[in-house]
Amino acid sequence: MEDVQVVAMLVRRCVAGDAAAWEEIVRTYQRRIYNICYRFAGTSDDAEDLAQEVFIKMYRTLESYDSSKGAFVTWVTTITRNLLVDHFRKTKNDRITDSLDAGASAHEDAQPLGEQIQDQTALPDQHVRSREVGETVHLALGKLSPELREAVILRDLQDMDYREIANVLRVPEGTVKSRINRGRAELARLLQRTYRQVM
Amino acid sequence: MADQRDADHIRLDYTKSETMKPEIKSEGGNGMLCQEFDGLLSDALDGVLTGVRLDRFRAHARVCSGCGPMFAEVEAGRSWLKEVAEVEPPASLLRNVLASTTGVESQLAWRTTAAAQTGFGWWERAQAALQPIVEAVWGTVRQPRFAMSFGMAFFSLSVALSMLGVKASDLRQVSLRPAAIRHTYYNTQARVVRYYDNIKLVYEVQAAVRELKRNVAPVEPRPEQSAPEKKDHKNDTTQQPEQKQERNYSQTEDRVVLAGAPLGATESELPVAQVKADRRIA
Repeated sequence: MEDVQVVAMLVRRCVAGDAAAWEEIVRTYQRRIYNICYRFAGTSDDAEDLAQEVFIKMYRTLESYDSSKGAFVTWVTTITRNLLVDHFRKTKNDRITDSLDAGASAHEDAQPLGEQIQDQTALPDQHVRSREVGETVHLALGKLSPELREAVILRDLQDMDYREIANVLRVPEGTVKSRINRGRAELARLLQRTYRQVM
Repeated sequence: MADQRDADHIRLDYTKSETMKPEIKSEGGNGMLCQEFDGLLSDALDGVLTGVRLDRFRAHARVCSGCGPMFAEVEAGRSWLKEVAEVEPPASLLRNVLASTTGVESQLAWRTTAAAQTGFGWWERAQAALQPIVEAVWGTVRQPRFAMSFGMAFFSLSVALSMLGVKASDLRQVSLRPAAIRHTYYNTQARVVRYYDNIKLVYEVQAAVRELKRNVAPVEPRPEQSAPEKKDHKNDTTQQPEQKQERNYSQTEDRVVLAGAPLGATESELPVAQVKADRRIA
């Protein structure tokens, strides 16, 4: 996925104070980090703030990266995950824990899940429908517990292998697989329940 | 419906356990336990489970009332997640990150984002390898001190070469073979030695001529060593007028002194006064 030598060179240049190298790192990994933050936090505003915090933390701790201990993308994902967990703990009291139909998510549409599914059946455009389904799944993803959500995001949305996820989450591979499957099953039950209510 | 939901939660209490192991443990009649089924679930979904183990896995999913529905749910959840597409990060993210870290604007505006998306090509790798060296050299060259030093060195070299008689037009004909370089070295050395010898000969001739002149010329009386000491006028505080030094008075004894008188038409008409100084002889 990433050329180890090129990334190591980029990191060395960045540590030496090369601003262009740092910009290249940001350009390369901003999409990945922003997507992880967006799927975990749920809103684009929070995702942008969190992604910015991740990059600031990366910039400060870039000297501590050791290429012999693992890939740079794993190191980046670990920083992102740790910061997301910290953010989750800090905002635990602020979150609303209503049901999906209550529209608790702070997403742009902020529309109840059931209504979105009703609307999507009426939309003729397949692309728009696909986007709506994606948003629905995104809302349901936000209802999973953090440990299941992060495992599912890293596996199914970021295409990381089990070993990398185990390194990021610092749990055994077996636990990673179990959490991923539990997250998938929980997600399916949430969506099926919504469908049954709609129908 | 609520009863059905509660039943699902009782059957698969995922949130309290780190494994997918259902509370109902059964063998399913095919020799596979639910715990083993749970361990093979990811491999089956990823397509790496094959052969007899896959057949046993499927057989267990068909007959087990707990594992079968669980497998279906996991598969459905994975299918749902495939509907989720990646989102584009806002353009302000890069700008804000750079402003809050390095504090500088984008330096890679000329590079298209396609390069970052398609990975690193050979040109990118070459740039990444050479850029630190180029930047270090360029940073040194840009300093005024280095430019001045380089200019002075170039000037000195050009002056030295011109003094040695080396011309730029001749350099094109210079052969860089070792024998030719040795030949050039010995030639230059011989020229330097000849030049030194010639200079030495000129100096010797000049010295001989100077000595010859000194021997031929009459000996001039040397100035007296006991010359009267100069009076220090600066420290003279007597306020008396300075006594003029009388020079060559002895020679003016018989000299005709022309006093100030109206000039005549010819030299013979000039009034002449004979002045004879009395000489007191001690």
